[in-house]
Amino acid sequence: MRIENLSRRSFLKTTAIVGGGVVIGFSLSGCSTSAPLPIDVADGGFVPNAFIQILPDNSVKFYTARDEMGQGVTTGLSTLLGEELDFDPFKMEILLAGVHEDYNNPGMGVQATGGSNAIHAHFEPMRRAGANARAIILLAAAQDLGVHVDQLKTEDGHVVWDNQRFPYGSFVQTAAGIAAPEEVSLKSPGDFRYIGQESGRVDALAKSTGAAVFGIDIDLPGLHYAVVRRSPVPGAKVVGFNRAATEQAKGVFQVMEVASGVAVVAETYWQAKKAAEQMEVTWEEVPLGGMSSADIRADYEQALNSEEGLTGTDEGDLDAGFAAADHVLESQYWTPFLSHAPMEPMNAVVDIKEGWADVWSGTQGPVAAQGLVARFSGLEPSKVRVHQTYLGGSFGRRGTLTHIVEATQIAVASGKPIKLIWSREDDLRNGLYRPASLMRLKAGVDGDGRIAAWDAKRVGGNISPDTIKNMLPALFPGLSDGVVDWVGGLADGAFTDWVADPSSVEGLFEDYDHPNTRVTHATVNHGIPLTFWRSVGHSYTAFAKESMVDELVVAGGYDPVAFRLKNTENKPRLQNVIRVAGELMKAMTLSQDHHLGFAAHHSFLTDVAQIAEVSVKEGKIRVHKVVCVVDCGTAVNPDVVRAQMEGGILFGLTAALHGEHRIEGGAIKESNFHDYPILRMNEAPDIEVVIVESQDTPTGAGEPGLPPIAPAVANAVFRASGQRLRSLPLRLEARA
Amino acid sequence: MIEFELNGETVRTDEAPDTPVLWVIRDTFKLKGSKFGCGAGLCGACTMHLDGTAIRTCMLPISAVAGQAITTIEGLSAEGNLHPLQAAWQAYAVPQCGYCQSGQIMSAAALLESNPNPSEADVEIALAGNICRCGCYPRIKKAVLAASESSGLFKNAITSEEVIS
Repeated sequence: MRIENLSRRSFLKTTAIVGGGVVIGFSLSGCSTSAPLPIDVADGGFVPNAFIQILPDNSVKFYTARDEMGQGVTTGLSTLLGEELDFDPFKMEILLAGVHEDYNNPGMGVQATGGSNAIHAHFEPMRRAGANARAIILLAAAQDLGVHVDQLKTEDGHVVWDNQRFPYGSFVQTAAGIAAPEEVSLKSPGDFRYIGQESGRVDALAKSTGAAVFGIDIDLPGLHYAVVRRSPVPGAKVVGFNRAATEQAKGVFQVMEVASGVAVVAETYWQAKKAAEQMEVTWEEVPLGGMSSADIRADYEQALNSEEGLTGTDEGDLDAGFAAADHVLESQYWTPFLSHAPMEPMNAVVDIKEGWADVWSGTQGPVAAQGLVARFSGLEPSKVRVHQTYLGGSFGRRGTLTHIVEATQIAVASGKPIKLIWSREDDLRNGLYRPASLMRLKAGVDGDGRIAAWDAKRVGGNISPDTIKNMLPALFPGLSDGVVDWVGGLADGAFTDWVADPSSVEGLFEDYDHPNTRVTHATVNHGIPLTFWRSVGHSYTAFAKESMVDELVVAGGYDPVAFRLKNTENKPRLQNVIRVAGELMKAMTLSQDHHLGFAAHHSFLTDVAQIAEVSVKEGKIRVHKVVCVVDCGTAVNPDVVRAQMEGGILFGLTAALHGEHRIEGGAIKESNFHDYPILRMNEAPDIEVVIVESQDTPTGAGEPGLPPIAPAVANAVFRASGQRLRSLPLRLEARA
Repeated sequence: MIEFELNGETVRTDEAPDTPVLWVIRDTFKLKGSKFGCGAGLCGACTMHLDGTAIRTCMLPISAVAGQAITTIEGLSAEGNLHPLQAAWQAYAVPQCGYCQSGQIMSAAALLESNPNPSEADVEIALAGNICRCGCYPRIKKAVLAASESSGLFKNAITSEEVIS
């Protein structure tokens, strides 16, 4: 991914307009485009850049470029913009932006949301967008009032002159003719009025009254509903289906083959669902059809215990490190395939008519949605309007948009506006998965309590090639299928034969100060579709790494906090969260049968340490409390950071205690929440989050809360039961 | 033709009798606040009130509610007002993605109706059928307890503007 640097000069390209005219692009990247912004400009509305519209009545519309999947990004970005615009974010109307180059993620170079980067990447650009608009308003006010701009200041959406207050809206007409000044300075942190303050969420009201609009809520006149039957074994094509009988089912309009299976279109969802369920479909046989979980695990074991694999990192002298160690441990850790299981199953509405296509869906990549609809409808991307909605959860899942391909193919073939809805069974059985991993760590500790050598190997499928293959046709709708297959194949080959996929081993070796380090990766891929899952590689590597560190602590008789402090001297920020959490741990009072486990991990530029308070009774693991210390730089909205830590911990606890997909005959066995359980309220611990004070640039919050929780719980379970559990989900062995 | 009461008004539908209540409410009567999560009564996203009791509507056939009263999130409080739970939901910044929250609030509202002063354990039992994948449980629990009668914090119906300011 390309990182774009934002220069102040790029803001000179701003061209302001007032309602009715063509909106000229405001480019963060400096490569301005003539494509009109996807903004409805109200009568007299002033649009200084792609993010703001100020109306004569002094209302402000904020166009959120990043996708709101629950991580609080609409609150965060409106806080950044409002800080410099000097306008209360809670008084803005929050709108989800359409597709335009100006909405590209400055940390990615495309219009996408992920990697916990939104607040980090927009910390300066979004404030500049606000400062820039405020500067224009001030110049307009100076002109209208006939005073020098230095005599003016602003206060919460008003220009203040000599104790008189004028709403911004009264200057929008003049503002439209004014270019932004070249240098607009930003506030120093001491002057922040909204950043760092306790506040609610800008989307909380809509999400408490049923008013928030998700993709599944879109309704259109003449809407038809589609349900797709897909192969239980990934990759198997349709051999045949009973079209005639299915077409006769009540309400059924059409039955058709699409790339992923067979689609049934009907007047209502229930009609489509029933007819699709009753349809008989036969599928081709593919090699994966002969595989079970045990076979996959055996292949991983074979690769782990052979010389197979590529060495990524290789530093120092591993043999010398182990020779110098007082004690050496070697353990294997297993983590299974997992689903994201967002509460809103995949869905999309596609309407194609009069040379235009409209698509409604909550996605992590609106530009990819546009590209896919263009590719599969034959329209130019400029003729595809993307209507972003709230995402009913995502966790990485809504970065892959095969459901938009399906909806587009069905809309083209049927000539109807189509709403496609996946069932929960479709979501769990036909989705994309967090890869399973088999990891081996060998570590040696010297007489001084320092880790001298660290040898890590991971076996499993790679995340990046599948994601690249899915993104290519979306981002480059003009590429032919052949080119997509060719480049996609290269991605497979690259990560198998040439380099270790960083997403596959991230977090396995970086946190501690071992001078002698080796990381090996063996790719074993059976064709289970894979993608990013909240915290990606860290979701499993932290379990292996922090379990091994605890094993070293126990073997050497060290204190879990002191040992980590001693081995993180080159990672001062990580060391500090360990120190703070260690002090909190000392102060915890425990009832007799409760035990504490400690873990710390660095991910998405953020450092987190967690303590899990656990009891083990009658073979059951119960997590009572979690204390979480996080350093994510400036906490733009501290309560949103707390919420993300809580969410990451509980998402990680589902994986630690319940999450497991099993494979039988190449198919995912679990089908709904009865056999793929999600943590429920009665299992959720109390959570205390401590945010380390900081004025540094903000870093990730959506994902870093997750990685430490599974090892923190496993380390506590060891203290409670004497059992060292090296597989997720954590299952106690029955003991006589 | 099936007749029932929806948020205080008598309505009729000629959808097939086996159509789940959820889809009739969402697609025929266009009230989209109740959500589809599992289709199997396992997650609670579709929770509505049937004569005051919290029920899962993704499996309940529309024929089963003939002559009875359905309340959805849209009908939980009088026009322009918030239910105390909805006010508490703002104060505790409960929602993340928000998709499950209608169901959470409807389950909690039925609990407070029958038990105005629930214990923490009562809340956990009443809401154990509502899954939140984002992990809002600690805040949901706090908000429900804060909306209880004895807390009195959100007793009077509050408009959204009052809550926000």
